Amino acid sequence: MRRDFLVPLGFVLASLIFLVLPSGTQRSIGHMVRSSVLMPFIRINETVTRGRARAQDFDILRNQMDSLLTFAAAQSTLAEENTQLRGLLSLRNREPSRFVATTIIRSGTSGAENVFQVDAGSEAGVLRFGPVMTEVGLLGQIQEVYSHRALGFDWSHREFRVSAMTVDGRIHGLVQSQPGTFREQDRMVLRGTAYLSELEVGTELVTSGRGGTYPRGIRIGWVSEVAETLAGWSHSYYVDPAVYPGQVTHALVGAGPIRSFPFEPEEPSR
Amino acid sequence: MNPRMGSGFYLVSGLVLFHLFLRVGLGFGTETPDLCVMAVLLGSRSLSVPAASALGFALGVLEDAFATASFGASVFAMTLVGAVGAKVCSRYDSATLRFLTMYFLVGKWTRDLLAWVVSDAAARSPFVEQMFIASPLMALYAAAAGVAARLLFASAFREA
Repeated sequence: MRRDFLVPLGFVLASLIFLVLPSGTQRSIGHMVRSSVLMPFIRINETVTRGRARAQDFDILRNQMDSLLTFAAAQSTLAEENTQLRGLLSLRNREPSRFVATTIIRSGTSGAENVFQVDAGSEAGVLRFGPVMTEVGLLGQIQEVYSHRALGFDWSHREFRVSAMTVDGRIHGLVQSQPGTFREQDRMVLRGTAYLSELEVGTELVTSGRGGTYPRGIRIGWVSEVAETLAGWSHSYYVDPAVYPGQVTHALVGAGPIRSFPFEPEEPSR
Repeated sequence: MNPRMGSGFYLVSGLVLFHLFLRVGLGFGTETPDLCVMAVLLGSRSLSVPAASALGFALGVLEDAFATASFGASVFAMTLVGAVGAKVCSRYDSATLRFLTMYFLVGKWTRDLLAWVVSDAAARSPFVEQMFIASPLMALYAAAAGVAARLLFASAFREA
């Protein structure tokens, strides 16, 4: 009778301790479970995702490649002009960013709605806080890096923040997620824009590069409507995302400037 | 292993594996019923209170492996559901279809409620929408799946 009470009580206390463990320890436990018991299921997910991508219509891929080739051809002289202008202004060359192509693995377990795993880690140069993007825009950010895998969250995560600006660089602000009443209603909101600089519906927003976490110029989304106005102070706007996280199967992960490659494999940050 | 105990063990293990296959292997979310909590509720029918809480604890750790916010919420909820489920089943006749339906329904809703209570306030959905709209629907879905499994695997259910 005493055992019937004490043992479950012990498990309940242990589960409460799980809740208050330091985040580094929580990450280690999660990683241990993912890389042992759940690994066969993660491998299945990888196989299915890759198979699905291979089955994508050839014509769509052909069209995407044609568009990219056209774009690259139109910009071919830009690099040369940029180098010349920088030389004239005595500006240092900007370090080119390097990206690693990865498969996005999503779990449907509770609490993992805005989390994904990628099949590349520190050995491929993936860095903590590196941006994750697709061909249409910004998906999220890497949070934990291991040797062959990394864990990240998408823009619907409550901790997501990105410095944003309009394409012409005139208006700046901070984009963050705003949870909806239901998960499907999660959206982004642009805060901190100057009160006198109003944005039209449909204005495109890109990363501004401030803070150095995200490279400048990655598309975030488009202004959809005014969210809030603080009289005489600032406007906030809802933003339609460029990327819907549930649809993404492949993405590019920022791996830092080319000059610093190869990176030393690192332990996940505590 | 006792063959009668064995059939229940295989049913619970099968539910857990199928749950992980659907949710982690194929990446389905709430499109599929929560078979993990069904496994805990079924296992609790034939297990002692300490063993049922251990089962809930272990499956909760699996559930939380991908959680970045509120890590441990599933562990806490599943542990309590396992322990209370075993206690309830030891007091009532848990073989009837009516009991099982209510047991699954209330069990899943309770699991969601407990997880909501200990979740990070900034990460969880508003209480009314979560507990009175989304969660009852998911509980109904899980209970339907549990009853369907009961009808399909009637012999194993007598033991599980």
